[in-house]
Amino acid sequence: MLIDVNTYIGHWPFRQLRHNTAQGLLRQMDRRGIDRAVVASIHGIFYKNAHPANEELAKETRRYRDRLLPFATLNPTYPGWEEDLRRCAEDLELCGIRLYPQYHGYRLTDADGLALVDAATALGWAVQAPMRVVDRRQRHRWDLAEDLAPSALEEAVSLRPKTRWMVLNGMGVNGRRLPDEARYLVEISRLTAVLQRTIPSLLETAGPKHLAFGTGMPFKVAEPALLKLNILDAPARVKERIAWRNAAEMLGLGTSRVEGRGSSAKRQP
Amino acid sequence: MKKAAYQLDPAWRGVRKLDCHMHVNGGPRTWGWDSNDRIIEAADRLGIEQLCVSIPITRGMPEHDEVAACNDGVLAAMRRYPGRILGYCFVVPGYPQALDEIDRCLDEGMMGIKLYNQYKIWDPAVCLTIEKAIEARVPILEHAGYPSTPERWAQQPNLSHAGDFVLAARKYPEAMLIEGHIGGGGDWEWAILQLRQAPSVYLDTSGSVIDEGMVEMAVRELGANRLLFGTDMTMEGGVGKILGARLTRAQRERIFWRNMQGILDRKKVQGPASRVESKSGNREASCLCSGRWTLDAGLSLTP
Repeated sequence: MLIDVNTYIGHWPFRQLRHNTAQGLLRQMDRRGIDRAVVASIHGIFYKNAHPANEELAKETRRYRDRLLPFATLNPTYPGWEEDLRRCAEDLELCGIRLYPQYHGYRLTDADGLALVDAATALGWAVQAPMRVVDRRQRHRWDLAEDLAPSALEEAVSLRPKTRWMVLNGMGVNGRRLPDEARYLVEISRLTAVLQRTIPSLLETAGPKHLAFGTGMPFKVAEPALLKLNILDAPARVKERIAWRNAAEMLGLGTSRVEGRGSSAKRQP
Repeated sequence: MKKAAYQLDPAWRGVRKLDCHMHVNGGPRTWGWDSNDRIIEAADRLGIEQLCVSIPITRGMPEHDEVAACNDGVLAAMRRYPGRILGYCFVVPGYPQALDEIDRCLDEGMMGIKLYNQYKIWDPAVCLTIEKAIEARVPILEHAGYPSTPERWAQQPNLSHAGDFVLAARKYPEAMLIEGHIGGGGDWEWAILQLRQAPSVYLDTSGSVIDEGMVEMAVRELGANRLLFGTDMTMEGGVGKILGARLTRAQRERIFWRNMQGILDRKKVQGPASRVESKSGNREASCLCSGRWTLDAGLSLTP
């Protein structure tokens, strides 16, 4: 069983991506035996008014909701986000939200950021925060966003420990700096099972309930994350937590729902 | 668990792997692990048979004593893990001791030369080092990249990029030049397109960037014969990006080990006796060095 908490569909303005449609993503998931995935819009990051990207995402994933869990993209500095959030939940039936303070000009812990985090939390949603979307060293000259610092994420998690946080493309988060009661997952695509051993380190400082499998598709190749699960020196129950159980709990998925994987990529409209 | 192997090809571990770009703790340098035993543990788990390692000084112009201490660290690792750890000799070209240091390291069994960012690879100061590598039939692995912002360039103004390798390769097509870590940050599409102009240059796949499509583009534009598997400390990412690329089995084997093995097999048997003649030849060649350099119009030298 595998749940990938870090996937996207859509277009990145600075590099051609492949497998970046719902069907393309599902084919990649099938190839790797990934049962379900949290997915958000890429180009929605760059829409001034992000909500149409949520409508596009909802439409594209509608036939694959048994496997794809669409997450909203919203900017809390843009007018009307509260109504857009309501529409995402009630009309589009999205399942959570992915935030980009580094692209949208706010901080997770300022008034705008906390207002959106609180509103999403009130819906029972998980809140995802990618530390980065792409590597800073190869960014386009118009892509000015800096990585979120681990301290910024730790501050936000500490301020809102009841929120279901998911840190994507995370690195440097230290469980010892976070409250025991905090609900958070750090996704493993930038962590390591061997050599630097950042996964074992996080297991030690945070515990096995705070890690989740993620690939970063279609930006990244999925195999490194699969390799980490394979070679991690940890009991099977810990690997199972990372592979899917922690994500299922955070996303409010029952085990029976998670187990219903089919071959959706081949499904006809 | 449906498949204990989390859906990887069950044969992934058994494919031979020869890491062309790795580092060890030693001399003045420690990286992100407490003991070099961790490298061997990681290699064992990932099925990496051999690792070609170096200890470069990554900032400034180090004194020769520092350079020698780095190489002593590599030699110590080679002795501790015989057959698993192979060594590159790190030098700062232009120092009078650099060529003797290369001789010392090759005599001790090292397999190549490592250059960092002290000089562009086309800089005349590097000529003697390249000529020494040609004479000894060993590769030069050079730290490289093409950062896409001025701020990044300012950190490493003499960082060699793919266009620099094109220039050097035109002057020394017989040299075995390896452009380091296509996934080490920087615009990898830019690098691959530049390297189309330099068919003698190898490209190593290491680095923390594991972008989808990167390896396939390199194979498509340069050919699998020019790619060398490496990790540069990104162990799972280094292996995973080759496993995840859409390649034939033959292409994957070439990248994982065959190409690098071919490079290693070319090394001339080293020894002081063979050095007397070659050294004088080398010095003579150095007189030609400055005359070999002309900058080609149309080739970008600056970011």
